[in-house]
Amino acid sequence: MSRPKEMTRAVIVGHKSIMKETINALHDSNLFHIEDFVEDDSGFKIDKPFENAEDVSKKLVKIRSISSFLGIDKKESVVQKSDSVLRELDSKLDELDRSISAKTEATIKLENDLKELESQKKDLLPFMSINLNFDYYRGYENLKVFAGTIKGTLDESQLSGITQAYELFYDPQAKTIALFVGSTSADKVYEFLQGLGFRELRVPDRGGVPSELLKVIEQKEVEIKRKIESLQTEINSMSAKYADFILASDEILSIESQKAELPLRIATSANTFIIDGWSLTENYDSLVSTVNDATNGKAYITTLEIDEEEEEHVPVEYNNSKVVAPLQEIMDLYSRPKYTEMDPSAVIFITFPLMYGLILGDIGYAMILGGLALFIKKAVKSDAVKPLMNILIYCQISTAFFGIIYGEFLGFSLASLHTAHGVVPGLIPGWETITLFSGLGGEHVTFPVHRTHMVMTMIAATSLIGLLHVNLGFLLGFFNIKRHHGFTHAFLEKGSWIVIELGAIVAIAGYMGGNSMLTNVGAVVAVVGVLMLTKGEGIKGPIELPSLVGNALSYARIIAVGLSSIYIASTVNDIVFKMIWVDHSKIGFLALAAIIVFVLGHGLNSVLSIIAPGLHALRLQYVEFFGKFYEGGGKKYNPFGYTRKYTEE
Amino acid sequence: MVDPVTATAVAGPILDAAGMKALGAALAITVTGLASAWAEKEIGTAAIGAMAENESLFGKGLILTVIPETIVIFGLVAALLING
Repeated sequence: MSRPKEMTRAVIVGHKSIMKETINALHDSNLFHIEDFVEDDSGFKIDKPFENAEDVSKKLVKIRSISSFLGIDKKESVVQKSDSVLRELDSKLDELDRSISAKTEATIKLENDLKELESQKKDLLPFMSINLNFDYYRGYENLKVFAGTIKGTLDESQLSGITQAYELFYDPQAKTIALFVGSTSADKVYEFLQGLGFRELRVPDRGGVPSELLKVIEQKEVEIKRKIESLQTEINSMSAKYADFILASDEILSIESQKAELPLRIATSANTFIIDGWSLTENYDSLVSTVNDATNGKAYITTLEIDEEEEEHVPVEYNNSKVVAPLQEIMDLYSRPKYTEMDPSAVIFITFPLMYGLILGDIGYAMILGGLALFIKKAVKSDAVKPLMNILIYCQISTAFFGIIYGEFLGFSLASLHTAHGVVPGLIPGWETITLFSGLGGEHVTFPVHRTHMVMTMIAATSLIGLLHVNLGFLLGFFNIKRHHGFTHAFLEKGSWIVIELGAIVAIAGYMGGNSMLTNVGAVVAVVGVLMLTKGEGIKGPIELPSLVGNALSYARIIAVGLSSIYIASTVNDIVFKMIWVDHSKIGFLALAAIIVFVLGHGLNSVLSIIAPGLHALRLQYVEFFGKFYEGGGKKYNPFGYTRKYTEE
Repeated sequence: MVDPVTATAVAGPILDAAGMKALGAALAITVTGLASAWAEKEIGTAAIGAMAENESLFGKGLILTVIPETIVIFGLVAALLING
């Protein structure tokens, strides 16, 4: 259980002549979270960005567009000296820009040519079967040429009925015709052709035989495609060559642009500037010395008191050990704690994997998923993935632990089970189930716990776990409130819940034991608890009372989701065994198929085993647990600065 | 015309006490399952809409979406109690 790191409010004031040095020093030290200045009637105004801001952002836009054009991924790269990158930035950027635009222009031109060729080809195709030089289609005084397609079938005898002076080229398959007739009978022939659904085709302007033209066009197309490809490889080789430079200069320009635009976020007058913000208390001294070193002590830096109202808006930096830190992702997913609140990361470090393990509880899946998480953690270098994999590993440790308690391996039972129908052997010979005591509804509590055979007992047990978890929430809420509003307030608001529960438990125990005295005492305590709650939380408190039962029962999902996972696994196992049973004497097709079913089935269930128990365990934290004490809504501590990856000073 | 006596005789084997119990348990699961689904559908749609506007609402969206799930857990408990 920890509280967020302690913050100090600091204000840096100085003459404008040292503003640039101060900003540079702050950015390099990465220690100061700057509060944006909102203009009010105090007379202070935000300032204009530095002179180089426009230039820097122009270059930044250029470099980012080039980077996205070349498809440069963020990757591990050699760390370069920032001043050497800066020195050749302009020339290299120009060079890069020029050669890329030349190459893109060339590509675009080639692509247009390709399109042009494509359309020429389309014009040619109908004339292919006739294959007449295009020059023959034009230039006649006494001849009319009909070139086009028809819909019906051309009967030549009909044509010869109209005129004898004709020459016909006809492709009955493509229904293309080229018909040369004397001008005198052209109108009649045209009418006749229209009857056949004639549509004129444009005869290409160029001369030449279609089949030869086509050959030339296709050759040109191949050549252009080859050129485009070679341009593409050139661009790819550029992206390999310039990747380091682009990543480094993107970083440098981002840093410059952040610095140059800071005056837009701070208060300035004609000659002074004020930078208001937050520093980690542990870092305050080094912040002071950094600023003093950079400005020769000319800047004035001081701390301010944090009043209660302001406490709500203090930026929040987690204060957890390395082991607990991955759970901060789960906190951020919900909402970062407020500065005034306790940070429950350390609690869900225990309870989240606990719930997950209670649900899944299978040694086999723990091994599969744990191995997978370790592998992904090693293989993927991303900072976003690592914490998630760590959480998954924590969960699998818990799953393995409960797997031993449940005695389960991929849905098989490891220990033998004594049922009314006889003894069912387990996977590990000689591991006998021991009956410990009798549970609810005629069930027996055993070791290992056979969940499928003691559902009612498990529902009760998980609800009890739920009750404990929820009460832990009340307890945390109690301490949260006690810190700010005192013991009485905390006891009325959160302690009253525990009083009510205790009263109810005593009353129920008395009722079951037939002790009316105990029942009455319990009832009185519970009523007192309700009165306290009403005083603490108002009418909303008693209205929410029934939700306590709902919350506790909600933990029954632990066994419900767990059972569904077992049933999927054992169904897969049943199918596989039946398949092998058919011809177990020889290793045939069915045995192979059985292996495939086994792998696929358990693979599917492994994936489901991340999603279902994960989401349900998460929900139990978010809804049932956090609902009792957690508010969240803290602002992230985001110091002014940059974590360099590709460059160094 | 169906003789009422025959009708009962036919209906008897299907809906004896155990059958009624099983049917009751099935109904408990089915209806609560549908109810959860319906409620979650409505909330989930809205939550996705909100997340499209502001991604940091994922946590809140998830919580609101899964709240009605308790209904089907109650159904499951009821079904198990009926059968138990």
